[in-house]
Amino acid sequence: MSLRGRTIWVAATVTLFGYYAVANFASEETRIESPLVPDNALRLGLDLRGGIHWVIGVKLGATEDHELSFLKGLLEDDLERDKVVVGKIEVVDQKLRIETFTEAARAAVRKWIRDTDQITEVGTNPELLIFELSDLRRQQVRQQGMSQVLEVLRRRIGDPMKGIPDSVVTRQGDDRVLVQIPGGALDRARAREMLRVTGFLEFKIVMDIAQTEELLRDKYPDGVLPEGTTIAFERDNETNRVLSAYLVGKEADLTGDYLTDARPGFDNQQRPQVDFTFNPAGGEIFQALTEANIGAQLAIILDDRVYSAPTIRGRIATRGTISGRFTMEEVSDLSVVLRAGSLSVPVVIEEERTVGPALGADSIRRGVKAMIVGLAAIVFFTTFYYRLSGLYACAALAMNLLMLIGVMSMFEATLTLPGLAGIVLTVGMAVDANVIIFERIREELRANKTPRAAISTGFSKAFWTIMDANITTLGTAIVLYNYGTGPIKGFAVTLSIGVVTSVFAALVITRLMFAVYPGDRHIETLSI
Amino acid sequence: MPFELVPPGTHIDFIGKRRIAAAISLALLLAGAIAVPINGVKLGIDFQGGTEMQVLFDDQVDVDEGVIRSLVGACGIEDSSVVRYGETEGREFLIRFQVGAVAIAKGGRCAFTPEQEKALERAKLSGGGGGDEGEKGETIDKLTYALGNEIGPLVVQRVEFVGPRVGSELRSDGLMSLAVACVLILMYIAFRFSARFAPGAIIALVHDIGITAGIFVILGLEFDLRVLAALLAILGYSLNDTIIIYDRIRENMKLRTKFDLVDVLNQSVNQTLARTVLTSGTTMAVVLSLWIFGGEVIRPFAIAMAIGIVIGTYSSVFIAAPTLLLLEQRFGGAPASVAAPAAGAGAAAEVAPDAAFAVRHDAPPRRDAGSNKARRKKKKRR
Repeated sequence: MSLRGRTIWVAATVTLFGYYAVANFASEETRIESPLVPDNALRLGLDLRGGIHWVIGVKLGATEDHELSFLKGLLEDDLERDKVVVGKIEVVDQKLRIETFTEAARAAVRKWIRDTDQITEVGTNPELLIFELSDLRRQQVRQQGMSQVLEVLRRRIGDPMKGIPDSVVTRQGDDRVLVQIPGGALDRARAREMLRVTGFLEFKIVMDIAQTEELLRDKYPDGVLPEGTTIAFERDNETNRVLSAYLVGKEADLTGDYLTDARPGFDNQQRPQVDFTFNPAGGEIFQALTEANIGAQLAIILDDRVYSAPTIRGRIATRGTISGRFTMEEVSDLSVVLRAGSLSVPVVIEEERTVGPALGADSIRRGVKAMIVGLAAIVFFTTFYYRLSGLYACAALAMNLLMLIGVMSMFEATLTLPGLAGIVLTVGMAVDANVIIFERIREELRANKTPRAAISTGFSKAFWTIMDANITTLGTAIVLYNYGTGPIKGFAVTLSIGVVTSVFAALVITRLMFAVYPGDRHIETLSI
Repeated sequence: MPFELVPPGTHIDFIGKRRIAAAISLALLLAGAIAVPINGVKLGIDFQGGTEMQVLFDDQVDVDEGVIRSLVGACGIEDSSVVRYGETEGREFLIRFQVGAVAIAKGGRCAFTPEQEKALERAKLSGGGGGDEGEKGETIDKLTYALGNEIGPLVVQRVEFVGPRVGSELRSDGLMSLAVACVLILMYIAFRFSARFAPGAIIALVHDIGITAGIFVILGLEFDLRVLAALLAILGYSLNDTIIIYDRIRENMKLRTKFDLVDVLNQSVNQTLARTVLTSGTTMAVVLSLWIFGGEVIRPFAIAMAIGIVIGTYSSVFIAAPTLLLLEQRFGGAPASVAAPAAGAGAAAEVAPDAAFAVRHDAPPRRDAGSNKARRKKKKRR
């Protein structure tokens, strides 16, 4: 490629990344409004910004216990119906224990268990039958439990509308959830309240319905709602736009405490529906409610949001179904929601790294100061030692840093305090590549090569040395990323990207600068 | 005239000093090993679990470690450690205690206001239970309230809590990461150079990690995730150094038909000495900058890096190359078998490296006749 061609594409690359880097200084509004300013920006880790970082362990054993309890209920009903006598049936530690006295009873129980196809027998005691969930079922149940916890936490903390801006709720492994709440506004105790993973579930009869709040209010004189009523909204999950506005009573007709289970099922035409179960007390209330309101809609509200409002077709007691034109996915989601209102899955804070905003700002200040001092020392020394070539190296270093930050901004990587240290380290090691090249060139010059030949040979001899050295550093950075957590991951990220940009800066940019001057000119001595 | 930190033609007999170097290394490693039962290995909460709170009291508050410690004890936590921290005239403290602390007894000195009680109750209802009080995060809130109420207004700068499950995971992950990194490095070197170069690199790396960790134990410094990150960074850095030297060794081996391995090794190390010193210097400069200006949080990382750079450079020069020598002498074939060629090429080829090696600032007379030929021969060999 010609010299001009090379200069152009290198300049373009540096400018592109540099642009992303500099754009970080633009404010949030400018970023959103202007099409010229990119939306991607460097994110600050919680240790620099301040905020709460929790790794929450979910005690999924409770979901297994709950499932076994549900099955226990069914078993008890069936045994009673068939007049089979057994002793105590209890659920302990994710196991179902049944005391039996006769061989016949045992056979009946075993047959029932086999028919459900969800439980396997463990334990060898002849009188005491012990069962636990089959592997497949256990996995399903635990998976559902995680979904429920994630669902509720996301709605409460990570929700774009009602939650805390910029917060993060993600799954980590099989049974952990990562929660990050940035900023210093929330005090820890209040934040812990948000970890309540039982949603507040209410059932209310719908009195009136309209598309939006205004249309609903228009139906009443002066827009004033009747006494004792309030509006509940059904919103689209993604955009949060209001889909319907329901007029309901302020008090719930029935709450989630009475619900014991909800799961996806099929009606007699194989259409998806939700099967739910109330406890006896709840069953009574529900029976009265449905009897009196046939034809009306029943709003199912979780944490003040309407999830579904099916029409009541007939009297329902403890077990009922919610059917309608649901897809399998909708039915599954609704079950999660209903269970979220009824089942409490215990969660535990297993790891916490919380930083106050004051300390965060302090850390940024110090990190930047250290970087500036370090940079200054390097620039001074490199220029003194290598003269003009040293200046080239410093210019390449500046572009290196610009690209490093630009790449991080482009990928919206998170900068943490160790990450800042990683940048400082990258600077120190970036000089290394240039030193290797320059020392080679000096060697060639000592062997009385012409400057042009010396430069060329210097770069080519140094090439694989630099590659080898940096590839291994990249390797350790990747290992570190894999095994590290939070802030350390930030370090690994900056180190990795830094390696790539350093190699590029040393081999391509510095080379280009030499090609520009001295380039093809004939000079006596090289300033190196 | 360019300024040369290491004048060309420097010829220090590094290989000759290898026995002394080995002795020093062994002594350091031994010192570290002996320090383990004496000082104990201090693990940060990252690896042993526990809670750490960094609190800063307001200006007017007059307090010291003892007061805090007794209050923490009154709240039911018996074995806490309270240390003055940072540079803010004795108002910032680091409080550390183990997880699963005894349930905090109410009343007495560990008092809360009614609003705080309510907040604690509400927060307690969440999460549905499960786990020790420490794991549920209540201990931290209670302590914050009690400290604020009894001693004075404060700001909680930082809270770190690592439960037992996570702590043991981090511990094993940490060790695993070091092991995996070493294996990857071994594979890469065996691939890029040759199998006999690999052990030298690995021994140098193990040596670096061992001595750096040993110095930490001797000085009673703590191991946490930041120090682990530094150790991994040192692995990468020390490897850099070693590879630079190996690269030169390989190149020099190719250039000469017959050579004395000791000679080649010495020559390679000397040739790369300038670069080694310069890079160590610049990296050290930035690490020192981090140490001095970077603040308390990043300091352990900077200290580990600083030690690692010194040891890493030392090991690349005095350990890696001699190990190669040792292996060659024990297992390798005669050095002469490494090079190829025709006898005639021998003489000419020897000119070029010597010219680079010896100091000749004025154009050497030898250059004219042989040089072009030498250059062509060199090109052919590659």
